[in-house]
Amino acid sequence: MTSIPSNTLHTDNYLNHTRGFMSWAFTLDHKRIGVMYLVSVLVAFFFGGMAALALRTHLIAPGTEMLSEDAYNQMFTLHGAIMVFLVIIPSVPAALGNFVLPIMLGAKDVAFPRLNLFSYHLWVIGAIFFLMSLFTGGLDTGWTFYTPYSTDTASAMGGVIPALTGAFILGFSSIFTGMNFIVTIHRLRPPGMTWFRMPLFLWALYATAVIQVLATPVLGITLMLLIVERAFGIGIFDPALGGDPVLYQHFFWFYSHPAVYIMILPAMGIISELVSVHSHKHIFGYRFIAFSSIAIAIFGFLVWGHHMFVSGQSALLNVIFSAITFSVSIPSAIKVFNWLATMYKGSISLNAPMLYALSFIFIFTIGGLTGLHLGTLATDVHLHDTYFVVAHFHYVMMGSALFAMIGGMHHWWPKITGRMYHELTSQIGAITVFIGFNLTFFPQFMLGSQGMPRRYHDYTGDMWLPETVELFHTYHFWSTIGSYVMAAGFFLTAGYLVHSIFRGKLAPANPWGGRSLEWQCTSPPPHDNFAKQPTVGDCYDFSVLRWDEAEQGYTWREDVPRPGEGDRDPYEKGELE
Amino acid sequence: MSVLDTISISSLAAADALPGRGFWMPERASTVAGDVDFAFNLITWISVFFFVLIVAVMAIFIVKYRRTNGREAEQTVTHHTALELTWTIIPLILVIIIFYVGMVGYLDLRTSPVDAYEVRVTGQKWFWTFEHPSGCIEVDVLRVPVNRPVRLVMGSDDVIHSLFIPAFRVKQDVVPGRYTTLWFEATRTGTFDLFCTEYCGTGHAQMVGHVIVYDEDEFDDALRECREWIEDIDDAQLHLAGANLFNRCQACHSLDGSPGIGPSFLETHEYFHDRRERDMIDGTRALVDENYLRQSILNPRWNTVAGYQPGQMPVFQGQLSERQLRSLIEFIKRLDEIELDDRGRPQVLSPDQIRELGGDSPNDAGAEQ
Repeated sequence: MTSIPSNTLHTDNYLNHTRGFMSWAFTLDHKRIGVMYLVSVLVAFFFGGMAALALRTHLIAPGTEMLSEDAYNQMFTLHGAIMVFLVIIPSVPAALGNFVLPIMLGAKDVAFPRLNLFSYHLWVIGAIFFLMSLFTGGLDTGWTFYTPYSTDTASAMGGVIPALTGAFILGFSSIFTGMNFIVTIHRLRPPGMTWFRMPLFLWALYATAVIQVLATPVLGITLMLLIVERAFGIGIFDPALGGDPVLYQHFFWFYSHPAVYIMILPAMGIISELVSVHSHKHIFGYRFIAFSSIAIAIFGFLVWGHHMFVSGQSALLNVIFSAITFSVSIPSAIKVFNWLATMYKGSISLNAPMLYALSFIFIFTIGGLTGLHLGTLATDVHLHDTYFVVAHFHYVMMGSALFAMIGGMHHWWPKITGRMYHELTSQIGAITVFIGFNLTFFPQFMLGSQGMPRRYHDYTGDMWLPETVELFHTYHFWSTIGSYVMAAGFFLTAGYLVHSIFRGKLAPANPWGGRSLEWQCTSPPPHDNFAKQPTVGDCYDFSVLRWDEAEQGYTWREDVPRPGEGDRDPYEKGELE
Repeated sequence: MSVLDTISISSLAAADALPGRGFWMPERASTVAGDVDFAFNLITWISVFFFVLIVAVMAIFIVKYRRTNGREAEQTVTHHTALELTWTIIPLILVIIIFYVGMVGYLDLRTSPVDAYEVRVTGQKWFWTFEHPSGCIEVDVLRVPVNRPVRLVMGSDDVIHSLFIPAFRVKQDVVPGRYTTLWFEATRTGTFDLFCTEYCGTGHAQMVGHVIVYDEDEFDDALRECREWIEDIDDAQLHLAGANLFNRCQACHSLDGSPGIGPSFLETHEYFHDRRERDMIDGTRALVDENYLRQSILNPRWNTVAGYQPGQMPVFQGQLSERQLRSLIEFIKRLDEIELDDRGRPQVLSPDQIRELGGDSPNDAGAEQ
């Protein structure tokens, strides 16, 4: 067992198994598809981030003339659309999920490898359509495409139809990934892995996949209707044509609220893994965490109306939606408390993945708690469409979902690349990003509760009261400074990660002491992952592992039989399911 | 609920003692603001409590259980149903309380008193028009009486807008094709911000106005002034009065020739001055005279200047008095006499300043067409 080299970078592995551009672009290997997704998502993240920096720089002071009104409006639309459709939604499931999910199951691949490749190609085509919208008149509707602004050709710019087509195609990419994961988890689990022995990341991906399959078609239909209205003037949403603009908001949020959970649920799954592995301690309250993922997926479908408290929706509907909204907060709270309980009496390694996990808990707590202000009717009326909302969803979407993705990327980086990154630099990077993030977005809570509306190109003019301008200026200034700090942290991160690919130490099979199956194959994994599907035990029981100085990683203790070998547990022998 | 009521009333009392902005919220200037702030503060303090609890526990664990040489994790129970139910049920009770407080406050926000003073509001790209029952029509300035419920009946002429008055804690989307309503009762006089909070395109950030709250008797004077001041401005100064109305036009029309959604008034002024004909979008040519200006303001859909998109300008038929219309026409005709600042905005004089310029000669108002 110890004679097998744990690092295969210089022997056969999935990276060098075949060579050439075509062997990547048309690969059926889930690991390569995952890596391509990861690279694509990070490129998109770079452009979305640059747009964000341009916006923040423009807003550093009132009256800045860096961006014209139309340029500003296009810039925030671009930022939002890229970050939502091209970055966050595919980041965890499609990039990390693709790489990790089959290996965690000990499978050779997902259930439908060709469909998986097709999902990625659709992502690329969708991204091209988004780019096209820039060259066909631009896009200034905001990522929400609210009607009648978006369907009125006199209002919105010409890039609406290409962008909608892009979002439509990306939707299919998302649906296919979801279907693939559902079938894979149902059919390809290894001996010993009952539903309640799956790593929690798989539970989260499963819950996410259910939402992707059920909610995304509604988005597709909605975007189609929008295209039909804009292109052919058929009245569906535009009151001038006999339509109803609020109907669009219902359709849109029926997808886009569950989409929030498409973004956050897999992130929570990653955190469950990170907290447990890097505390070297069994996850606390496995079933509560698993069920809370399912609960969030279900409740998530019933709360879309809380985006529309001031839309003209009836007071009764508002009250109902507000009530259901609060029910979502409970499973989220359960997860946070269970993660804390997992850390109790653990042995906590403060490496980069764990720092991102701790950042997640800190930031998600703020993001979640400020959700209470927005779910509450009386306060939402004041806070709706102000910077308070901007701050809230950046705490949840960026500080939580995206930070978890980055944490997960650091966690699985040795597995993906076969290299270790420089530990101290990565810690500095994680802390810089954390500080920058909070400095950027915390002032926006005050900005919003003091009344600053979203999507404003400027905050001065003839009708602005001087005290208001002065107050907003202070908060905007610090927010912009924070965005520079965060950008510095991200560039540092990009720097050491790229450096590690060329100069990093060779990674052991199991650098962190993880127990799930991906840590039992080599780094990077061979083309087929496992020669024979292994039998699994309790993937959070870390007592079977020990640190091996020669290996610079964790190995299986010689005195403990592997699952399926000993006589420990009928589940592990595959006798019971 | 009686306990909550008491707290809520005492927080209202505190609101009156506390004039300016707080750390979180702007000044409170309406009857509902106290209740909204009570809900906000309640949630904020609950949040602060849980945040501090979670972060403190996390920090203690990080310090205490940090992985150092030879320290391994201790095995503890992997689940504890009673404990987990506890931290399920306590938050559940708290959110039920929060929901209830928020719902009660919201229903107060939605239920307007029957005897409210009504103002008609129209949102258009990118300005607000406020129409009082007495006939006063103003742009971007909403004048209301103090201590009297005011109900806004709102509609949009183009896309969705949203009216937001932070000091009153009220907001409502303004949707084309239907009316939405909003009510408030201001509790103190002064000038407050009014914003559009639903993204509506290029000029969204300039769709900003004021709410001015008056004492009851001052309010009547203000409305009379709003209605009548332009009637007794001398013809000689009428173009200066036009500068007062220009704020409705400035989102689309510049005065210094710089490009905009619509043609610059400077161009129009030059055409008028030289009595030239202008190329229109339908291929015809139109002579720029008083009738052209009148038609273009009241019913701009009749035609569009070549090079611009039709349908952009709202219809002003019925929104301007004859004298107001004439002052705008004079404003364009005599644009060369208007002083512009370095941002290309006209010098705007108050009605009294304009009257002073004109001396005491009686006016002979009348339609010129």
